[in-house]
Amino acid sequence: MNGRRRMIAAAGIFLLGSLVVSGVPEARVQETPQVALKPAPENTPGQETPAAPRPPREQMAVYVLLAWVWLSIAVLLGLLRLRVREADRVFRMGLDRAAEKTPRGPGY
Amino acid sequence: MNVLRAWIEDRLGLSAVTGFLAKKDVPRHKHTFLYYTGSSILLFLVIQIVTGVLLGFYYQPTLAEANASVVRIMTEMPLGWLVRSVHSWSATFMIALVFAHLLGIAFTKAYRKPREATWVTGVLLLGASLAFGFTGYLLPWDELSLAATKVGTDLPKALPVVGPWLTQVMRAGGDVTGDTLSRFFIFHVSVLPLAAMAFIGVHLFLVQRHGMSVPHEEERKGVNVPVLPFWPNFAFREAGVWLVLLGLLTTSAVLAAPGIGPQADLMAPAPQGIKPEWYFLFMFQTLKVFPARVLGLNGEMFAVLIMMAGMAALLLLPFIDNRPFERKGKVITALAWTGLAYAIGMSIWSLL
Repeated sequence: MNGRRRMIAAAGIFLLGSLVVSGVPEARVQETPQVALKPAPENTPGQETPAAPRPPREQMAVYVLLAWVWLSIAVLLGLLRLRVREADRVFRMGLDRAAEKTPRGPGY
Repeated sequence: MNVLRAWIEDRLGLSAVTGFLAKKDVPRHKHTFLYYTGSSILLFLVIQIVTGVLLGFYYQPTLAEANASVVRIMTEMPLGWLVRSVHSWSATFMIALVFAHLLGIAFTKAYRKPREATWVTGVLLLGASLAFGFTGYLLPWDELSLAATKVGTDLPKALPVVGPWLTQVMRAGGDVTGDTLSRFFIFHVSVLPLAAMAFIGVHLFLVQRHGMSVPHEEERKGVNVPVLPFWPNFAFREAGVWLVLLGLLTTSAVLAAPGIGPQADLMAPAPQGIKPEWYFLFMFQTLKVFPARVLGLNGEMFAVLIMMAGMAALLLLPFIDNRPFERKGKVITALAWTGLAYAIGMSIWSLL
């Protein structure tokens, strides 16, 4: 179990680390937006501004980000599942409140 | 680290809170999943605040700039469209969860004594959430939002005595103008957040004060309901639910980002296909199909009065349903199911 836990933790750290590192080069080349200096793009009557990003690079980056998000969630859920099982085992064995003399919280 | 911990403890006394959380238990039964909805609402509220502040840096609540500034956020700000989309989608998720939370509590009759005040603050929070949605809908200042706000703010006018005054207050004048936009913006970013924080504070205090409610059928079994320690057993499960919800939010925000229509023209006629947000659809459809005159009275006034009576009944439900497990309680449950079916049916009809 410990080996499996360590493996999942290492995979999680690797995935999150590479996600952070992969963003560095892009952040370096990103220009500072000059919002106040540019006139607002005008909408012609009856035309709707598309919601999705136009530059293909940004569009692709977003889908990559989405994939990373779900991958990170899957790893974190795996880790949480292990922690929940461990916490439930400790609770079932009564180790968590063995030293306590105080009563439980309100409502019971 | 220990020195820092002791320094913080001396000043804030957080050990009382952590001690309380360490002893807090969560009842374990077939409706335990409903407990996750409450904390998930808070998660989405925090997302709303963070993305709202980011949007607020660039949004300009003036007649000339409102629409253009939203277009700028979406087209020029790095990932501005995503921030706006997350803001919009987290509002949808939050309101859906508020409804789920409320329905779960209503149908398990968790509002019974001594949790009446918890229910009342919860319904007030629902009202605040809907008001957030209503005021936020106008802010992009496009054709559709202007028309929908005109319809929405016109509704109270049908009420006797206070109606015209209420419409005047909402619109900051006789019609929807730039003043309405400023008023809605101030409500959206200042008045409503303050009110929501106050309601949440009282609501959370009451939830901790009385503990989590146990469904009556579990209580009736006469045995102690099994519990789960809040920390860490329940908190870890909750974190798992949050992660999945965050994934769903990100996916929805990326794949179905909301667009923005052309700038609103105060002189232009209302566009075709005006529809409010999904959570107002049943009211919208009700007004659409309601007869013009009922028993010699103005039909719109009649419909608005019925809706207001429904809202008052919802707010005062614990006091109306004061014997929840007797015949009266069963009749109220049947009425609540009928009301829910009506709201879903009307919303679907409106979408068709």
